[in-house]
Amino acid sequence: MTVSSKVKQTLANLKGTQSTLRLYAIQTIDENTKATYEEALVITNEIIKDLEERLKTLEFEEPQYKGY
Amino acid sequence: MKNWIEILIRSIGLFFITFAAVRIMGKRQIAKITPFQFVYYTVIAILSALISVNLIKNLAFGLISLGVWVLFPIIFDYLSLKSKYFHDLINGKETILVKQGKVMEENLSQVRITGEELLRELRAKNVFNLADVEFAIMEATGEMNVLLKSDKKPVTPHDLGKQVAPQSEPQTVILDGNILDEALSNIGLNQGWLKTQLNALGVPLNNVFIGQVDASGDLYIDLFDDSIQVSQPKVKELLYANLEKIQADLITFSLETQNQKAKSMYTNDANKLQEVIHKLKPYLLH
Repeated sequence: MTVSSKVKQTLANLKGTQSTLRLYAIQTIDENTKATYEEALVITNEIIKDLEERLKTLEFEEPQYKGY
Repeated sequence: MKNWIEILIRSIGLFFITFAAVRIMGKRQIAKITPFQFVYYTVIAILSALISVNLIKNLAFGLISLGVWVLFPIIFDYLSLKSKYFHDLINGKETILVKQGKVMEENLSQVRITGEELLRELRAKNVFNLADVEFAIMEATGEMNVLLKSDKKPVTPHDLGKQVAPQSEPQTVILDGNILDEALSNIGLNQGWLKTQLNALGVPLNNVFIGQVDASGDLYIDLFDDSIQVSQPKVKELLYANLEKIQADLITFSLETQNQKAKSMYTNDANKLQEVIHKLKPYLLH
């Protein structure tokens, strides 16, 4: 498995997790809990962006593995 | 008028009068009333019994007496609401029995309690060691309440310095196979949501005995047919495990890469995620 495909896997995993977090952020009634979930959403978003940037660089460096 | 008809009419009338009077006099648990409250409830009961079986021949006299015993407590209650002085006068004051771990003997004799009775009451509160008691007080109702020494108190999450998620009450949305719309709308959900959830679990509505939705919107159900195993929601635990896996992945990437910039990015992200995991832990695992 190449580095970029590993990163892609983690990215996909993170996106799935984020969607579950978003579900809870919407469903939860308690304000404090909601705020915690929303904060988690913001931070996972930042990490997703970082990983996507990194993927672009990786694919540029190793074009032979592009798309895997 | 025949005797039995008179008794019938009196009884029915008094049944409703007494019922109304006791309702007006307020909600009180019979075990938690002061001795005097017990007296006037008893007098009302006896008076209405005597009147209704015609032992008090003159109905007017009986009703006057009953009226006094009903009205005075209401007036006294009102006065004790308005003034602290009246309140203490009518209901009595609480008495401190144990203070800073020391038994107050003069207060014990004042409320006429022996040492044995004190110990019995403490045992009833699950306190077998007098040494564990910091403070004990006898309420005006005769009930004893105990504060344990701080090292003997049950441990709370606060003592452990642990953060816990606030627990609000779950809403019962299905009872006996029927959807309760009011409870559903209380948590901002509708029948469509419930049907989707039940479909996902593969359970027909008429097989559900009790269904509850907790504060985070997860549905727990109990079925009539106990041989069917329902998967109870484990989404939160899964979510937590996933977050930890992603965090571990980020650390692995940071170790594997040679690029300094990428390394610091991965480490930074891993730390941020660790913080999120720490904050979410009380909400996801409980």
